[in-house]
Amino acid sequence: MSPVRASRASLSRSLATLGILLLCACSDARSHARATAVLIDVSGTYFDQLGEMVRITRAGLLPGIHPGDSFFVIRVEERSYDRTAVEAAINFDAQPSRANAQKLTLSGTLDRFARNARRAQYTDVTGAILLAAEYLRETRAGQKEIIIFSDLKEELPKGAKRSLEPGELTGTEVVAMNVKRLAADEKDPSAYRARLAEWGTRLTRAGASSFRVVLEPEELAQAFAQER
Amino acid sequence: MHSLYLWPDSPALSLVVLWLLSQVLLYAARVPVHRGLRKLGTALGGALRLVARWLRSVSDDLRRRNREVLLEAGRAESEARLEHEFQRLATTFTAELKEYPGLHRRLDESVRTVEEDLKASALTPPEAPGWPEAVQAMANMPKAGDRTVQKVLDEIHRSAVASEKKALSEYREAMARRHKVLAQTAPIWKAIRALLEEVQRAVTGALSASSRIDAYMERYEKIRRGEDLVERGLSASTLNLFIISLFVVAVAGFGGLVNFQLIARPMSELVPSGGWVLGMPISMIAALVIVLMEVAAGIFLMETLGITHLFPRLSGLPASRRRIIFLVALTGLALLAAVEASLAILREQLFEADKALALALAGETARGKVEVAAPLVSKIPVIGQAVLGFILPWILAMIAVPLEMLVESGRHVIGRALQLLVRGSAIVVRLCAHLVRYLTAVLAFVFDIYIVIPLQVERLAKGRAPGAQGPVEAGALRNPTERTVTFKAPR
Repeated sequence: MSPVRASRASLSRSLATLGILLLCACSDARSHARATAVLIDVSGTYFDQLGEMVRITRAGLLPGIHPGDSFFVIRVEERSYDRTAVEAAINFDAQPSRANAQKLTLSGTLDRFARNARRAQYTDVTGAILLAAEYLRETRAGQKEIIIFSDLKEELPKGAKRSLEPGELTGTEVVAMNVKRLAADEKDPSAYRARLAEWGTRLTRAGASSFRVVLEPEELAQAFAQER
Repeated sequence: MHSLYLWPDSPALSLVVLWLLSQVLLYAARVPVHRGLRKLGTALGGALRLVARWLRSVSDDLRRRNREVLLEAGRAESEARLEHEFQRLATTFTAELKEYPGLHRRLDESVRTVEEDLKASALTPPEAPGWPEAVQAMANMPKAGDRTVQKVLDEIHRSAVASEKKALSEYREAMARRHKVLAQTAPIWKAIRALLEEVQRAVTGALSASSRIDAYMERYEKIRRGEDLVERGLSASTLNLFIISLFVVAVAGFGGLVNFQLIARPMSELVPSGGWVLGMPISMIAALVIVLMEVAAGIFLMETLGITHLFPRLSGLPASRRRIIFLVALTGLALLAAVEASLAILREQLFEADKALALALAGETARGKVEVAAPLVSKIPVIGQAVLGFILPWILAMIAVPLEMLVESGRHVIGRALQLLVRGSAIVVRLCAHLVRYLTAVLAFVFDIYIVIPLQVERLAKGRAPGAQGPVEAGALRNPTERTVTFKAPR
């Protein structure tokens, strides 16, 4: 090979290497996927809301899910920290049409859940949050979100201990939807507000990036679709 | 502030004492302060002026380089035009000269034929040998008594009349032949006229080409001489070209955006990946690459067709290799256009599926909603998108032409803008230099205003003293040690 050709070949190799390095440097290592855990309360005081909550999840949240996202549905019941409380756990395919098919399957699962769910005696919200946090961490998603459908009135079975440690919910946004007002709340609204404030403090202390309460389903759907 | 008080319990007294102290100290430091301010003004002003001068020289350099580049570009363009005109002229002349021997032969033959015909028509028949007068004389002769003589005379008369008729008939026949010959020359005259018109057209074309060449040569000479008028003209035309090409490229850019939107969604089906590059998913990058590949194929097409000259190496290739590149680029572009058309069809189907899914998730029957649109109407968007997907790549391929113009004119426009920027910066820095010098002078006056009481005391004291000078004037301040501190007005 002549020196000129050799130098040209060397230059080409160098440029190709540089190109690959630049491409690698530009490639985004951060995950752009979103993992969402929906906690649905099936305890006595909230059980009558189940159908509506499933409808909001199906019609408001599922359309906003993108290919590659993860979605979990967890029941809030006596022992929510148990894996059996997970009603559905799906990692959506990167191909949009397959992800759509998965959405349809999930929609059917949610409908079955709404029909066949049994009323729980206690309300282990913290256990459900802990379980959701573990699932969300496992996905390594860039955006983590917990949506709670509950009255947030925790009633643990005898002997159960629950606590949210600092860092448990790091980088996780928590949204409480349709926090039902109990009979005691109607008598004394400050109790309702105090309950919400207490949850806000607990969650942010556990590392949640935000905690907000949403009243209207449309607002939740809109925020969920726009949050990316 | 309170920490400065000498007696915190008596702030007023503290302030008065501080003021008095400052008066004394500043009065004593007046000369060094003035000198310091003057030096500071000179130093800062001088430095800024140096910077301004340097910026100005950079601006001049840029202007000179821009001028050289512009004139060089103009010269190259004129040379190209001249070359083109010469080529046209050479082609025309070659074609015309190739035709000329045939033309000349045809013209020669026509002329010879006409000459022969003229000669043929010039052969006049013999005139009748005075038969009418002889016949008249015979007829007018008195009747002789002799019957024999009378009979001879009658015979002679009859014979003369017959001969006259025969001669007249022959004459008429000869005239008819001449007219026939002359009539036959009419098409030849027409042919000669057509040939002459052809010659005239060729000559006119050559003259027009030569006048164009003259104009180009004149312009070329002006550019070579580097006349300012020509430079301004070139600059204006380059700016026009830049604006127009920028507009066209921007329009093409929007077309590319539409193209991108058309294939972005279906590409996510074809290239499903969770990876992201530069804040975009891989599928969008793939769609973008397809659009850019269409542009690249278009550039190669235009290059191999000789319309653009962005890659001099390509134009230097042999024709056979250029043809290969042309065919490869054309095939690639056609394939990409076909792919885009199919992706556009897929896009519509995907959107239909998405709509059906949304309805299903909302709990409504998808079928009932989809059937609202009639089948014929619902195909229109599909056909439209497919056509758009096929046509847009070809339109994008044309971007090479304005892109070349943009690159060529952009070099001058950016250079010119840079030169103006540097020139503007030089002016601003120069103004700053003046400002700094004036500010230091003003500061010196402010300083003097603050210690006006000691200065007035000094003036009064000196006014009473013998040989005292006049009042202190602005710009010429006398210090206690009899040394003058003068502030010159900044230049």
